Amino acid sequence: MARDQRGDRGGFRRHFTPRRKVCRFCQRNVRDIDYKNVDVLKRYILERGKISPRRMTGTCAFHQRKISTAIKRARLLAMLPYIEG
Amino acid sequence: MRQYETVFLISPNLEEEETTKIITQISDIISKEKGKLIQEDRWGKKRLAYPIKKFEEAFYVFFHYEGDSNIPLELERRFKQTEAILRFLTVKKETRENVRKKRKGIPAEEETAAPAKEEEIVVPQDEEKVGKEEEAEKKEEEETAAPTKEEESVVPQDEEKVEEKEEEAEKKEEDKEDLNSAETSKEDK
Repeated sequence: MARDQRGDRGGFRRHFTPRRKVCRFCQRNVRDIDYKNVDVLKRYILERGKISPRRMTGTCAFHQRKISTAIKRARLLAMLPYIEG
Repeated sequence: MRQYETVFLISPNLEEEETTKIITQISDIISKEKGKLIQEDRWGKKRLAYPIKKFEEAFYVFFHYEGDSNIPLELERRFKQTEAILRFLTVKKETRENVRKKRKGIPAEEETAAPAKEEEIVVPQDEEKVGKEEEAEKKEEEETAAPTKEEESVVPQDEEKVEEKEEEAEKKEEDKEDLNSAETSKEDK
């Protein structure tokens, strides 16, 4: 755990708080992500309609690929915006 | 034989009869090409995320069917000819079960990671306590270990500690919130 390494922290600790994130799709053992599932996909886009990066959501590489294709399909069908605001 | 899913958006200014006519035409094509319609889904008029051909809403129709590859080709040819179709999309459907099995090559890394996380979730208060105790111990150690240091240097360190604790508390809260949002999928934004 990160807590153990806390003793010898440098100045950077103030700005950088590591937190272990786990891919939500791996936890549920899902393989495919449906583009029709707009409510789920909405949680993986930013305010402006961009796809959230992995470093923010903690999604694994496999599911990030699935999410991004699903979001792109949903965008084509105007279920999600390309840009917002 | 493959399974496909075709979605298309019909423009909203048509009469109900005309929309149903288009939909029946499409399903006729599928049956004519010896495809098997597995599921037909109509979402009805839905608001679009952005205007298409200056329409703000459209009629969503989904066809899930099985057949040869000439069916989607024929459908898309037809879609292009029809003015009233705003958008369409055909996707190959996976027939496998939507469960991802863990590969044998990767030993228990995921498995160990997941329970550890769970523990953290289940007993957040205890862990927090432990963390605070640890920090308190450290503080004592530092204080006892550095008697030669000037007192001025000790004071700001203490402040730092307090800040750190606050940070940690915040983090825990965030974690909880995340969990909640995972349970209630709809409420997020």
